Amino acid sequence: MTATSLTPKRGPRLRVNRLVLYTVLVAITGLFLGPFGWLVISGLKTPAELAASPVHWLPDHVQWHNIADAFNLIDFLGYARNSLIIALIYATLVTLSSAWVGFGFARLEAPGKKTLFAILLGSMMLPQMITLLPTYLIFAKLGMVDTYWPWVLWGLSSAPYLVFLFRQFFAGLPRELEEAAIVDGCGYSAIFWRIFLPQSWPVLSASFVIAFTWTWGDYIAPQLLLSTDRTTLAVAVMSTYVTSAGTPVTNLQAAASVMYVVPILLIFLVAQRGFVAGMSTTGLK
Amino acid sequence: MTVDHIPSVADRRGSAPAPGPVTSRPHTSIATRRHRAFYMFASPWIIGFALLTIAPMAYALWLSFTTFDGISPRWHYVGFGNYRELFSDSQTWKSLGRTGLFAITSVPLSIIAGLGLAVLVNRPLKARGLFRTLLYLPAVVPPVGAGIAFKQLFDQNSGAANGVLNVFGIDALGWLADPYARYVLIMTVLWTAGNIMIISLAGLQDIPRELLEAARIDGASAWRSFRSITVPLLSPVLLFQTVTGVIASVQTIMPLLLAPDPTPAGITALPQSNYLYMMHVFAEYFAFGRYGYASALLWVLFVLILVATGLIFKATSGVVFYNVDPEAKK
Repeated sequence: MTATSLTPKRGPRLRVNRLVLYTVLVAITGLFLGPFGWLVISGLKTPAELAASPVHWLPDHVQWHNIADAFNLIDFLGYARNSLIIALIYATLVTLSSAWVGFGFARLEAPGKKTLFAILLGSMMLPQMITLLPTYLIFAKLGMVDTYWPWVLWGLSSAPYLVFLFRQFFAGLPRELEEAAIVDGCGYSAIFWRIFLPQSWPVLSASFVIAFTWTWGDYIAPQLLLSTDRTTLAVAVMSTYVTSAGTPVTNLQAAASVMYVVPILLIFLVAQRGFVAGMSTTGLK
Repeated sequence: MTVDHIPSVADRRGSAPAPGPVTSRPHTSIATRRHRAFYMFASPWIIGFALLTIAPMAYALWLSFTTFDGISPRWHYVGFGNYRELFSDSQTWKSLGRTGLFAITSVPLSIIAGLGLAVLVNRPLKARGLFRTLLYLPAVVPPVGAGIAFKQLFDQNSGAANGVLNVFGIDALGWLADPYARYVLIMTVLWTAGNIMIISLAGLQDIPRELLEAARIDGASAWRSFRSITVPLLSPVLLFQTVTGVIASVQTIMPLLLAPDPTPAGITALPQSNYLYMMHVFAEYFAFGRYGYASALLWVLFVLILVATGLIFKATSGVVFYNVDPEAKK
């Protein structure tokens, strides 16, 4: 075996390597952005251009009015408001409840805690669908179908994934944080609200973004639980862009789905830094 | 010491076992207080889990022994009738087979893709952050957005995919119908490999530099140290990805979102190769309103997932390498 120099090799070979690396990366990135780019282009075509065969690559005239039409053909803002309400309710409640439960698992001891934690982790493997269909039947009996109550309940009951996130973060904080407070006679809930919660902004925001994205993107639960009027944008974009004759208007659907996706992309881009920080401080891997 | 700061919720919790003997702690009252506090903090999850997970599953189990269809006032207990039917239903077996095939192709492919991307963007690059962000971006696109995007992309007439094939003189393919629909489905999964990339990246950055340096001094090639150091150290991450990937692929609703008609009735018209097990459940549930039978299908799926997860853990128990870090891994 030949000895290898520890100093990085410089020279033509390295430069070629780097060129290959960048080419590969740019190509892959292009492929990854392709579907979304195509969606944007599709949303700016006329129906004829969109139906053309072979493919009509770019619109002859960019149909900006498609965006307005997509707004007007259905009650776009109404659906967006429904999505927003549900996502805000769920993300706020589930973030707080998961932080609360996560604190318990991170900082307190009790008999049975290990078992409960194992169940909590195990329940992450539980397919949502298995509980969702019977849940629908139960909510139907309770008269909660077509209300936003299910999201309130789901939010209050915390989410295992987020509990784990908070538990990891809280477990990493120094013990002295609560000890002084206990000596002063502070209850644990005061310790949680006054000491731990204010420390956990990165995780709180990561959790909020994750939960908001889940709800905004969810298709099955609103499809099951909500009527056409009260449903979310996800369902509306998927199924309501049809003419009175019932034929789908695909160019408007494309324009609408761009508008549906953009808020999530923006939230992600804005929150990205804190999001990644939140994920890494929790040591979630 | 009093417990006046702790609401009585903890006391009312029926499932909370009585605080056990607390011999190892110097202040018994503090220990008791912590036990109660734990149950107070855990109660939202415990109650929620009981009401929103255990109860629906128990209800589904009961329904799976009935002919309940949600409408007819008369429905009855049929014992194992649904389960017997399920085992003789060729759609169950076929859709299960397709789901298995989908999982064992899409999960390894997306893990390899995600790990490959992570290795690429872990190098010292210009605009590394930008590449990471752009590659991760599809992972945050909601499924409905992805479904519509892929429908446009792979449209037989107007899709860019066929446009590209056309440039090379290849005839347009019916991507969203059999036999190609299954490949489009896998591509939708690969498209979100950024998710795996981000988590693998965190794992890569945790690998001690000294290990890789030492391997280099010993003359190990890049591939060799990737295989002998990076992959073993990353194995818990890869195991996590495998388990969550399998569970996600079993539950995917993408075939429905790629369908020309995304209504429950359209489920039955899906391309055969994309008629996965969960689609079969949806069809029985929505299109035929057979809640009892669909519940039986779901329970069988649940058991199969438990078995599959157990097998994955068992099969990898000798291969997965846990870094000895008693604090982090509990």
